[in-house]
Amino acid sequence: MKLTNLLSVAFFAFIGGNLRYLIGQALGLVGTLSVNLGGCFLLSFLTYYLFDRRHVPSWLTTGLGTGLIGAFTTFSTFSLELSKLLLAHAWGAASAYFLLSSVGGLTSVWLGYLLAQRLRGLNR
Amino acid sequence: MMLVGTGAALGACLRYLVTTLIKRHSHFNFPWATLLINLSGAFCLGFLTGSQMVNPFLGAGFMGGFTTFSTFNTEVFALGDGGLKTLAVLYLVISYLGGLALALAGLFLGKTC
Repeated sequence: MKLTNLLSVAFFAFIGGNLRYLIGQALGLVGTLSVNLGGCFLLSFLTYYLFDRRHVPSWLTTGLGTGLIGAFTTFSTFSLELSKLLLAHAWGAASAYFLLSSVGGLTSVWLGYLLAQRLRGLNR
Repeated sequence: MMLVGTGAALGACLRYLVTTLIKRHSHFNFPWATLLINLSGAFCLGFLTGSQMVNPFLGAGFMGGFTTFSTFNTEVFALGDGGLKTLAVLYLVISYLGGLALALAGLFLGKTC
């Protein structure tokens, strides 16, 4: 555990958290969904394209992955919003929100992975 | 902006510390740290909301920055990609069901406090 990594996480999380907050304020539930799916794509892409390369410093990978994208996406808000939909008996909206988040999240990760593989293939 | 950002920075730092510590002491190829973080974060956000103690610093900031959806999904994918499909499904189901149950429990508990 390095102090530079911790400071980098704090710095980037400040930005990621604010971005999520602004998008959430503007779009509500759709905002959380967009942020979560977009973050899945970005984290997967960075993980498989950039993070396992030797010349990338750990403060940057930790800052971007754990800090920026980690704080950009959120699991607690998602769970709470889903709870509220269920408590309001909005079954259709709850199912749609859950399915879009779960299936969409994994699909986004898969797409990020595919793009990383494709670009690495071109760079070889 | 300052409140949300500062909360998110603190939450993400705590997530980084918890993850680093758990990974150092864990011998199994399972993302215990993220699971623990996401489940406890879902409960706490539920509780804060139920008890009406939630504010941008604690809610969108700290709890939002502490929990993570992207790392969770990338870990599920990595488990499946690494041939541990059963663990991947288990991780997925426990996270979603647990997160929902704990957010609901937090909401109700918060309302009674």
